[in-house]
Amino acid sequence: MKFLIAIGSKKYSGPTLEVGMRVANAFNAEVTIVYVGEKISAFSTSEVLMAQENLRNWKLDRQGVDVLEWAFDFLVQNEYVSLDSSADGFNVEKLVQTDDDRCEIFLEGIKTQEVGLILRNGDIIQQLREEVKRGQFDVTIIGGSQKRRTSHDLIQYIDSSIFVVKNYQPDRQYKMLLAVNDAPNTRKAVKYGVRVAQAFDLYTTAVTVSSTADFRGNYKKASAWADKFLRRSGVENEIRLEHGKFIETLSTIAGDNHIIVMGSSTKSPLVKFFTGSKPIKVMEDCKCPVLIVKE
Amino acid sequence: MLGFSHSFYSNFLFWITRKRWLIFTFVISLLLFYIPSPTTLTPEGHRTLIIVVIALILIIGEVIPLPAVAILILILEVIFGIDTPNGVAASFMSDAVFFIMGSLMLAVAIVSQGLDKRLALGIIRMTGNKTWRIVFGFVAISAILSSFIGEHTVAAMMLPVALTLIRNTSKDQKTVHRLAMLLLFSIAYGCAMGSIGTPSGGGRNVIMIGYISEFELGNISYLKWMKYAYPMLILEIPLAVIILWSTFRPEQTILDSAVRKLKVDVTKTGKMTGNQILAIAIFIAVFFGWVFLSPVLGLGIIALIGVFLYLSFGLIEWKDINRNTNWGVIILFGAAISLGIQMKETGAAEWVANLAITGLGSVVQNVDVLHWFISVFLTGVLTNFLSNAATVAVLGPIILDLGGNPIILGISASIASAFSYLTIVASPTCMIIHSSGLVKSSDYLKAGWKLFVMSLLVLFIISRFYWVLLS
Repeated sequence: MKFLIAIGSKKYSGPTLEVGMRVANAFNAEVTIVYVGEKISAFSTSEVLMAQENLRNWKLDRQGVDVLEWAFDFLVQNEYVSLDSSADGFNVEKLVQTDDDRCEIFLEGIKTQEVGLILRNGDIIQQLREEVKRGQFDVTIIGGSQKRRTSHDLIQYIDSSIFVVKNYQPDRQYKMLLAVNDAPNTRKAVKYGVRVAQAFDLYTTAVTVSSTADFRGNYKKASAWADKFLRRSGVENEIRLEHGKFIETLSTIAGDNHIIVMGSSTKSPLVKFFTGSKPIKVMEDCKCPVLIVKE
Repeated sequence: MLGFSHSFYSNFLFWITRKRWLIFTFVISLLLFYIPSPTTLTPEGHRTLIIVVIALILIIGEVIPLPAVAILILILEVIFGIDTPNGVAASFMSDAVFFIMGSLMLAVAIVSQGLDKRLALGIIRMTGNKTWRIVFGFVAISAILSSFIGEHTVAAMMLPVALTLIRNTSKDQKTVHRLAMLLLFSIAYGCAMGSIGTPSGGGRNVIMIGYISEFELGNISYLKWMKYAYPMLILEIPLAVIILWSTFRPEQTILDSAVRKLKVDVTKTGKMTGNQILAIAIFIAVFFGWVFLSPVLGLGIIALIGVFLYLSFGLIEWKDINRNTNWGVIILFGAAISLGIQMKETGAAEWVANLAITGLGSVVQNVDVLHWFISVFLTGVLTNFLSNAATVAVLGPIILDLGGNPIILGISASIASAFSYLTIVASPTCMIIHSSGLVKSSDYLKAGWKLFVMSLLVLFIISRFYWVLLS
């Protein structure tokens, strides 16, 4: 599997990197960490690149390299990369410009298969979308954004599962909340959820929410399957059947101390664009980390 | 739905959301196309103005690559029947485009010589370790150098000097944030101010000279331009230092250890190499060529001779020039100049100029000062959102048709296009200092608006009281 972790700054991206690497470790995944800097005007691309090349002659780093270096130090301290890669510290000379707005460096991983560091410039959604397409990533991990539109765009346009590390507090005791229904992506979501629960040793609640008091047969079947799968995987869990509005119910149960895992919507992208979807609303309204699993 | 996959819809919606300005442009151009031409405007002029609107929206929005905008301009000029294919091709390539191409290549050649360390040593020797003197040195050197070799070349060479001083002062950049802004803006604004000094300071100066000559309004030589513009540059240097100092009062007023460390770093590079001496000699030859031979050979051809010499003497490799030259910008400026010429030839420029004068009412019509102010203010504002050369290429023909002394209006507008103090996208120098990560977009307004007002006032005084003496 391949995971992409998007970081923004040293100040705010610590939890994202920490959670992202632990989850990637649980999946034994190949990890790439990407920093997306601000867009460079097309009028100035060559001039900025020339100035940045000149900085190298002075042994000065371009913007974003310090964030990658901080991420590198995190990987070394937590033994995610091998000593060979870390022996000389972060070597900016190994950063290879692959495109006008992209450069990368690869490190040999210990716990994970391989770790890549990418520096990009431009619109965050467009850059992540291109990176996911280029690297065929299965999961994209990113910190929570203040902009509601970002949640929508992430789910709508990024072609991978999305894990938004929202309001994550390292010292808080988290539980897992699995949203289970009869949608096709639920089984994959439960499987992902189990891996995360095992990695973090999380108590798991699998909740099925129906809008009426009468639960459809398929809902009950899905809930029973999730219960069986969780027990077989050795994850301590409880099964809940709730009726009410989906978003409110999930938000109330989750509070701020759960990691929500749910499947993506199977609605047409056109319908999702105009009317939204449950995962988009969950990501916007809930105050905790959310993993949306796509097909 | 309709048999298309989710992936297709997702890609389609992404394209729509990212290209909404392109769609808006298409709708606006259709609307404008079907609006009947005003009686005072020729159909060709009407269509030319539609292309201007399309180009402006696409350039400001950056929704499609710049070369694509350029190609679209050329295609529409032919499809709309504004000119023949050969006519469009002829207007696309001019000495001004040669100059922009040559100066961008010269910039790559000069930056790659490693002369920036000599420059750093020179500045530090002159200024010593007092911060205000260093700031003065940064503004003055950036301004004077960029008046000859182009602003982004100087910014690229000065940036590492400033960043080294900042790093040497404190490892924790938060503790020297105001110092960082002071030094970086000294470079960006110094370069912007300097670019007005000579025609070779910026492509827009050459574009304006080209328009004035093409429209048979007069001839401006290299030295004549300097006589007009250089005094303003000199006046602006101390004023800019005062504005920058009062806006970003630095945490440290003496950079003793930072300067010492910089001196140690720089002196390690040893004596000047033969290639560096040759590179400087070639540039001095190019400068004298611009001064004495440009009436015969043109500024562009002389710049290209310089590039030829750098390549022939092996001072730079073609692959480096090819990699670091912004070809898209060159093509765009060629197309923008072609559009400017078509605006003049179809009468579109005159129509817009008359519309502006009529719109201002009878009070304003006979007041040259207000014509001057409008052209300068409009150019100054637009240059902060558009490239300064593109601003002059599009607005130039209109401004020259406003009435009054075309030389004064033309040079004023060209100088105003250097007032790119307010935004990151205003010029490559602003983008270069922003790429350091030490200045935010909101920081540009802090001192930028003061410099904008100061520059307007200085230009007004110079053009009213000094240029009159010259003419």
